[in-house]
Amino acid sequence: MLKRTIHLVLITLILLPILVLMMLSFGEQWIFPDVFPQNFNTKTWLKLFSSDSEISKSLGLSVLISLSVAFLSTLMAFVFSKVISTSKYKNQYIKLAYLPYILSPVVLGVLWHYFAVVLKLNASFFGVVLAQFLICFPFGFIILSSFWSRHIYDIQNLSFTLGASTYFSFKRIIFPLAKPILGLCFFQCFLISWFDYGLTQLIGGGQIKTLTLSVFNFIKEANIFLAAIASLLLLFPPLLLLFFNKKIKFKRSLINTH
Amino acid sequence: MRLELKNISKSFQQKPVLSSVNLQLNENQVISVLGKSGSGKTSLLKIIAGLEKPDSGDVFLNQKSILNKKVNQRQIVYLFQEALLFPHLNVFDNIAFGLQAQKVEATEIESRVKAILKEIALSDHSSKFPLQLSGGEKQRVAFARAIIIEPQVLLLDEPFGALDVETRENMQKLFLKLIKQYGISALFVTHDLKEALMIGDQIAKIDHGHLRTYQNKKDFIQDEKSGVKEEIDFWTKIQEFE
Repeated sequence: MLKRTIHLVLITLILLPILVLMMLSFGEQWIFPDVFPQNFNTKTWLKLFSSDSEISKSLGLSVLISLSVAFLSTLMAFVFSKVISTSKYKNQYIKLAYLPYILSPVVLGVLWHYFAVVLKLNASFFGVVLAQFLICFPFGFIILSSFWSRHIYDIQNLSFTLGASTYFSFKRIIFPLAKPILGLCFFQCFLISWFDYGLTQLIGGGQIKTLTLSVFNFIKEANIFLAAIASLLLLFPPLLLLFFNKKIKFKRSLINTH
Repeated sequence: MRLELKNISKSFQQKPVLSSVNLQLNENQVISVLGKSGSGKTSLLKIIAGLEKPDSGDVFLNQKSILNKKVNQRQIVYLFQEALLFPHLNVFDNIAFGLQAQKVEATEIESRVKAILKEIALSDHSSKFPLQLSGGEKQRVAFARAIIIEPQVLLLDEPFGALDVETRENMQKLFLKLIKQYGISALFVTHDLKEALMIGDQIAKIDHGHLRTYQNKKDFIQDEKSGVKEEIDFWTKIQEFE
């Protein structure tokens, strides 16, 4: 009974804010002390699909930035973690990768801002991508370093002795084995980028309007209905991540034989 | 086929692991290499397979040096202590791996894999994943995966070490049957005296990086340093005690 009550309370706590956001996004004229908005319609949602919609532009830009950051970080982290896995300074490199998390992101942003200005990358798409990459790459490196164990090297060596070339071994053995952790790394980097506000604001100089920035702008403008839509769109990737996480966990249980 | 090792030496952090090792393995021959842990057995196999470079000496296959040959071009398969099956591939794909790497036609792969699955009595397990197999079954698949590509030399690094006594004996019999059937030469590394005598046509003993090859099993048994005498004495005492 207690377990059931706790479950119910937890589910309510998780779903209630989403429910309020849903009501706000479909609602119109929600004035105190009304419990619910006076009207429900799809007007605000339809704005999203209009050609000059700021939200849809922000959504597109956010997706592009986050995909670029996640792809670049995962790829580079995979290559670097492989190279460093055989180095005698491996542990030192991993400790070094924690540096961006010891520093405050704002401090890191200010430091990067100087270089972004010098390199003329401030207020640009690439400047923001690079700034976010500086946070995501070490994160990916830390995650992927755990993949390159002795067991993986033994499996790779075995595939070589069975006649596999480096490419064939990568295609048939290493990549499929790394896929779950690569997926995890990709989505985590995507989320870090997706929810980033400080760095994007600082490096983007207000010119790069991602969805997170839009949410804050709508709140500042007291446009709670558009802010609700933007917030719901922001929630979509974490939900997707939860769905994929389940799949990844299942696959890992099949693979873990040792 | 003839594998020859000439004056192979190897050190790790200035500690010698192999000292001027010489060895000759002939066609269809199985040499058991007997040695304790840390005697240099694994390093010896890894050098032959190309997974490690010796500090000095050379490795010849059919009178040609293979020292600078890539691992995947040596036609020497190394079987690790663990079965090391590819966890994401089923039994069929694990066995077919080497043939696929050699770009053998799909129909031929299918018939050859099916035939070897029958040999190792795992025909019903072809679609199972390694996680669903027992230790003995995993080792049988690992053998089949190595043998199916008909390597020039098979290197085995204590492959039965982790198995229970009964499975171990069955695996030894299966190994001998398959190795003769496919005409493969093998170096079989073990620390088990009985296993070495049962498997090898010839015995070699490695101790602190020094390898001694005996002409035949009789020479080995008669050698006081072989450890056979101690083993016999032990069992005699046990019998007397009973």
